[in-house]
Amino acid sequence: MAQQMNIAPEDWLNEYGDILYRYALLRVRSEPTAEDLVQETLLSGLQSYANFSGKSTLRTWLIGILKHKIVDHFRKNKYEMTTLHDEETAADILAYQFDHQGHWQVNLVEWGTPDKSIDDEQFWEVFNRCISRLPQRMADLLFLRAIDGVATDTCCELLGFESDNQLWVALSRTRVKLRQCLETNWFN
Amino acid sequence: MRKCKQIIELTSREMQEPLSWLTRLEVRVHLLMCKTCRRYQQQLSFMDKALSIMEQRLLSQHLSDSAKRRIAKKLE
Repeated sequence: MAQQMNIAPEDWLNEYGDILYRYALLRVRSEPTAEDLVQETLLSGLQSYANFSGKSTLRTWLIGILKHKIVDHFRKNKYEMTTLHDEETAADILAYQFDHQGHWQVNLVEWGTPDKSIDDEQFWEVFNRCISRLPQRMADLLFLRAIDGVATDTCCELLGFESDNQLWVALSRTRVKLRQCLETNWFN
Repeated sequence: MRKCKQIIELTSREMQEPLSWLTRLEVRVHLLMCKTCRRYQQQLSFMDKALSIMEQRLLSQHLSDSAKRRIAKKLE
């Protein structure tokens, strides 16, 4: 940690620019927007450097600032309040997986030891492709709520879900879709 | 008795926040008895793990030099 704190502000861009950029790009999927967010983050960081306690690493601190900038970005570009879209309900997939009583009517393919896939470059191509095929709001939900841990009510506000319950349904269906894509394209 | 279709929603939700103790118990009992839901839950856990690894992999990639120059200029 002591080493991290020695990095002078003028070197932040070189040292942390890449990681901040990738972090942002994964969430906003636009290169110019990601670049703007990096710039705003570094600027904020410079302005509030006095508040940096050194309790976390500088990198973690800057990513923390970036997370706020990303939430601000979604707030400025809020989704309209809307019920779930057809593509988000994954109705076709669910209908095929469950009978009318809500019980499984398919056997899930055994994924074997999926941890082996982690070392396989081809797995990551399939995985990234499956993520990029998710409808945009589903992908945004997955990143904001499941990965970044943005609060449920904030996610509802930013992504236009009418209720917590609707958000949980959507998140589950996002995972149904992602799972199905992995099973079809990798584990089968 | 909850249906599998509800259980998969609850297992997904539980990855983000704790369920009420009663719901949690219902899910546990269901998972004990239902091999398919158990398998589904294991696959969800793997997907979450894969997501965080994907992120770490991406974070190790680089911002282009031209983008760095543009940002550096704006920060001056």
